[in-house]
Amino acid sequence: MPEPTTPEVAAAVDVAAGRSLGADAWHRLRRRPDVIVAVVVVAFFAVVAAVPTLFTSTDPQRCVIGDSKIHPQGFGATHPFGTDAHGCDVLAQLAHGARPSLLLAFVVVGASVVIGVVLGLLAGYYLGWVDGIVSRVIEVFLVIPLLLAALLLLSLFRNVHVGSGTFDVILLPAIVLTLFAWMGYARYVRASVLEAKNLDYVTAARALGASDVRIMLRHVLPNAVGPVTALVPTAIAGVISAEAVLAFLGIGVRPPAVSWGIMITRGSEWVTGGYAYLLLFPLGCLVLTVLALVVLGDALRDALDPRLR
Amino acid sequence: MGRYILRRALLGALTLLIVMFVLHLLTTFAIQLNGNPALAFFGDRVPTDAQVAAVEARYGLDDPCYDQTGNPCLGPFVERLGSYAQGDFGTDLRGREVTDIVATAAPNTLKLFAVVTVTWFVLGMGLGSVAARWRGRPTDHGIRMSSVLIDAFPIFVLLLVYRYVFAVPLSGWATSTFGADSMAALWFRPSFDDDHPWATLLVPGILLGLAGSAAFIRLVRASQLEAYTGEHVRTARSRGLPERHVVVHHVVRNSSVPVVTAVGLTFTEALAGAVITEGMMNIYGMGGVLWEAVRASDVALVVGVVTILAAVTVVVMLVVDVAYAALDPRIRYA
Amino acid sequence: MTTSVPVDVRDRESEDTGDTGPRDVGETLLEVDDLAVEFRGDDGVVRAVDGLGYRVVAGRTLALVGESGCGKSVSSLAVMGLLPPAARVTRGSARFRGTDLLALPPARHREHCGRHVAMVFQDALAALNPVHTVGYQLTEALRARTGASRRDARRRAVELLDLVKVPHAAQRVHEYPHQFSGGMRQRVMIASALALDPDVLIADEPTTALDVTVQAQVMQLLAEIQAERNMGLVLITHDLGVVAGVADDVTVMYAGRAVEQAPVRELYEAPAHPYTRALLRSVPRLAGGGTDADGRLPVVPGRPPAPGRVPSGCAFHPRCDLARDVCRTDVPPLAEAAPGRSSACHFSAEVLGGARG
Repeated sequence: MPEPTTPEVAAAVDVAAGRSLGADAWHRLRRRPDVIVAVVVVAFFAVVAAVPTLFTSTDPQRCVIGDSKIHPQGFGATHPFGTDAHGCDVLAQLAHGARPSLLLAFVVVGASVVIGVVLGLLAGYYLGWVDGIVSRVIEVFLVIPLLLAALLLLSLFRNVHVGSGTFDVILLPAIVLTLFAWMGYARYVRASVLEAKNLDYVTAARALGASDVRIMLRHVLPNAVGPVTALVPTAIAGVISAEAVLAFLGIGVRPPAVSWGIMITRGSEWVTGGYAYLLLFPLGCLVLTVLALVVLGDALRDALDPRLR
Repeated sequence: MGRYILRRALLGALTLLIVMFVLHLLTTFAIQLNGNPALAFFGDRVPTDAQVAAVEARYGLDDPCYDQTGNPCLGPFVERLGSYAQGDFGTDLRGREVTDIVATAAPNTLKLFAVVTVTWFVLGMGLGSVAARWRGRPTDHGIRMSSVLIDAFPIFVLLLVYRYVFAVPLSGWATSTFGADSMAALWFRPSFDDDHPWATLLVPGILLGLAGSAAFIRLVRASQLEAYTGEHVRTARSRGLPERHVVVHHVVRNSSVPVVTAVGLTFTEALAGAVITEGMMNIYGMGGVLWEAVRASDVALVVGVVTILAAVTVVVMLVVDVAYAALDPRIRYA
Repeated sequence: MTTSVPVDVRDRESEDTGDTGPRDVGETLLEVDDLAVEFRGDDGVVRAVDGLGYRVVAGRTLALVGESGCGKSVSSLAVMGLLPPAARVTRGSARFRGTDLLALPPARHREHCGRHVAMVFQDALAALNPVHTVGYQLTEALRARTGASRRDARRRAVELLDLVKVPHAAQRVHEYPHQFSGGMRQRVMIASALALDPDVLIADEPTTALDVTVQAQVMQLLAEIQAERNMGLVLITHDLGVVAGVADDVTVMYAGRAVEQAPVRELYEAPAHPYTRALLRSVPRLAGGGTDADGRLPVVPGRPPAPGRVPSGCAFHPRCDLARDVCRTDVPPLAEAAPGRSSACHFSAEVLGGARG
């Protein structure tokens, strides 16, 4: 299986592919059925998280002890997915629990991408002491794994009072997870900036007197977008499962708000008692979402780095 | 080479110092915002002022700076560094030395890591190399699909499902088929047994290794693919070397450089995974201790264990840097 | 300085690879005939080489000349069995002393590489493995294929470095490729190709990546080694200026085909193909006559066709100043234009006559 690449060979292969990398990536993604299914799944759960009342009219907080532990009754009945040990409707909890789980994931990944891109860009572009500081900070945060940091900080701040609004319940986990999730992006961006910086057209732009900000945004950043984009879906999936772990330890999203993690934690106690559905419904939602995101991430990685195909 | 190692070691020490300072700042800040962690010592009882003062003194929390929000409390930090230097990492809420706890717990974590490493190596190197070798063939597609599937089941979910759904029937089956004292019965025992550490660690270790292997498979595949397309591989082939020789000495050897670098990064993830695994499977290891300490709000123990783990991580990263230089002469002579 | 190569290297494994001993001057070593190579991509099939043929003779140097993308590198990779997975040989043969290499199973084909046909690549920095010492790479094939001992291998590595005139060879075998300068690295590359004393050496743009002053030295070295060992040398280049000094025969390629084949002196005196003529005119010369009336250097107008978009008829017709209707429809065959030389042009006699007259 010899696979040399001479410029000549590369030219021969690239002949009819006159498309840009982005267009090419889009072209390839569209042709994969698994990607389409994954997009549909992610979009579905995003809608659930945004408007849970579309899927259930029951209030997840209205629990009737007398109706506890009803097995799933099927669609059309009062409790399609049954009720939990406190008599709360499982479907209502699932629908309303999607919001904190997904919102947390999006907030954490969004914030860490911004932090990572800015710091990586500055470090790679200016090098010198800026790079020295950023690299050291990256290393410091890398030494403490995300989960260890979350365990430490959330248990330290466990008793700090926060409100009960949509953002308030995820505030602490969001801050902590963001604090320890940005380094990957910074490293990737820094690496691709270093690569792009010495390209001839960047040197030319600098020689023509373009400002640093302009060079960074117009010439250097676009090179870094690819690798960062490919990381995002997998990172969102990672935060969703991290939320479940934190919930299991009682330091994630705060009750009385429900999240998938909290439901999984509560459900796991009832598996052996013949109420496996209490675990399997929230776990199924989580696995399905994570799987869809992972498939998306894998497809993006492929599409944006054709060498790996 | 010597200078390179020295430089890396100094940078590592600096990193560790900053890590400890960051940890200190965060704890201080938490105490200032959150109230006195010494109160946790008393649980639901309401202590007298004298009792609180005594406990505060014992945990070094009697410095007035802990009452002033925003004060970085440099004094206590320096004191703590001093006691760390003497090997004193404080005590837990019950007064047991943190170093003592770690000393008894660490061997089990090391055993877990051994199982994880073997799983990683077998799955990652094996499947990754096979996928790269037969790129684009059904085998490659199958391996890549499996790696995506593995990713969809984070370690937490794997363990949850194993522990609550599979462990009980499996261990029941193993006990009735092979007898209660058989190896198989121990393998599937849903909780850790100090008398049979290896047997009861095996399944959780394999699961943890499996959960982390997806990234490893992809990495090995990607770096071998890059090596395969390298011009030096074409040169080696043009010299008439048999394909097996080319794969071993030019593909696997060259791809080992990025793989080793990544092992350093995945180490911290494995550490986090070990905390979850040991916590959920009741394994008495560093992670299990940490897990229980979080549940019991034992801040001193959490800080102590996290500091020790951070130190271990810094050392691992240093070892990786040295291995990197040993594998790539361009780094060594730079 | 130059040490002769001990012959024992060749003897150990000679039975199974069809080795027939020393080379006689004028013996045909490698004969490529009607070779065609295709690339398969997502967007269809592209023919990179189409019906190429040439002959490599012991003691002579053949230059394969053409612009980038004309298929000269791809054709030599095909001979070596080193085509990328997307490419495959669809037609033709490459006979080494009668054995068709392209018809052999890959593992048997590989055995001929290095020992009978060896290759020198353009970019020595990329083509040498950065993680192994130069000494290791020089004798890797020797050790892996003949089971030479570590001590013998090291002695041989030093010999090889001496042969290509790398100073302080005994110390430098322990260094890594990145510690060598560009010219020295290319010498190492050449030495590693010579390790098994090959009969035919294919050098793919061996000096393109080097400084001009170093280029001449490396080319000189290649010519010396070739003459001394009676090897057949295939020199792939886009630079007709390089060819003049070292080559004996020239094959000019255009869009995957040979358009002219001739001994070097005759080709320079009177090209028989308009493309060759245009190439020769664009080589700068000091002694006047090379420039046109304005004192400017003439260039070949237009651009070479992209593989896969080769024009109908004669592929060169859009750029040719002689093009007539027949050139747009009929592919000119490679035919004898004069004794000992051939040209693929409908009007080769006219071109030849014009050049002489």
